[in-house]
Amino acid sequence: MREDDLEHVLSNEEDLLPSSGFTASVMDAVRRDASLSPSIPFPWKRALPGLIVAGLALMWVFVGIVELALKAGEAQPAPVQPTVLDPILRAMISPQMGWIALVLLSTIAFVRLALRPVSGKS
Amino acid sequence: MQPCSPGNGRICEGARVSASEDQADVEKVLEGDISAFEAIVRRWQGPLINLAYRFCRDRGRAEEMAQEAFLRAFRALANWRKEAAFSTWLFRLATNLYRSELRRIPARTVSIADMDLRDPRASDGGLEQEDQNRAVRRAVFALPSKYREALILFYFHGMDIEAAARSLGLPEGTVKARLSRGRAILRGKLPQILTAQRLTEAR
Repeated sequence: MREDDLEHVLSNEEDLLPSSGFTASVMDAVRRDASLSPSIPFPWKRALPGLIVAGLALMWVFVGIVELALKAGEAQPAPVQPTVLDPILRAMISPQMGWIALVLLSTIAFVRLALRPVSGKS
Repeated sequence: MQPCSPGNGRICEGARVSASEDQADVEKVLEGDISAFEAIVRRWQGPLINLAYRFCRDRGRAEEMAQEAFLRAFRALANWRKEAAFSTWLFRLATNLYRSELRRIPARTVSIADMDLRDPRASDGGLEQEDQNRAVRRAVFALPSKYREALILFYFHGMDIEAAARSLGLPEGTVKARLSRGRAILRGKLPQILTAQRLTEAR
């Protein structure tokens, strides 16, 4: 088979004619689609305060842990080699952690409240 | 190559026969007159169904895929920026949909090496021209998808390289390379397939 033959065959295929009810079927689907109410958009207005608080809380937690880790490092001449977990464990029993936990819990509550209309629960 | 027009199922980027009608209908739909979309469907149903058919070789599925393409076009009509022709936008949307549909549920194909080209209508022991044409088309359908898609748009659907590249979202050079490679595979495989066919029928 020559190049020309190949191109000729490839370029000359019969076309299908749409079946008689095709247009009506498409227009039915289009009208059905148009009659549906638009999907509920994500409630950014409601979620934004919660998201901002969540972001700030995460930053606060991060900064708090870093600060405590630095303090712990300075305060101890460490006769014993400190492990990586030491500052974290110390941070967990410090009184500041209570506040951090409170902020985290309130953030989770905010986010859940904001997501409630999206999940359809009243 | 056949002349291109909306009526015969082939696209021609140069032909702007329906461009102003498309634009007017789109504006009507966007203003809330949904029935104006019917004119768009009537104008482009042939090309969209034929394009789908060339991707899946199943008439029923082709109509389903074309209907879904129209529905998506309707939903996204406001996104059509008038820098490109409506047909270009519509065919890009349809091509993307057809490709992803076929990735999701592949059409039934056999590899080009395993093709059985016997046609029950061929009774004289040799391949008539139409049988040979059918064999070529089936061989195209059995090509790896990246070559098949380029060949379908360029040959079966009459698009030029630029339009095919836009529809596939690829650089023109890549489309040219895929066309060339696809043709090379066909040229390499078809003589063997046709010879095997002749031998089978001669027994």
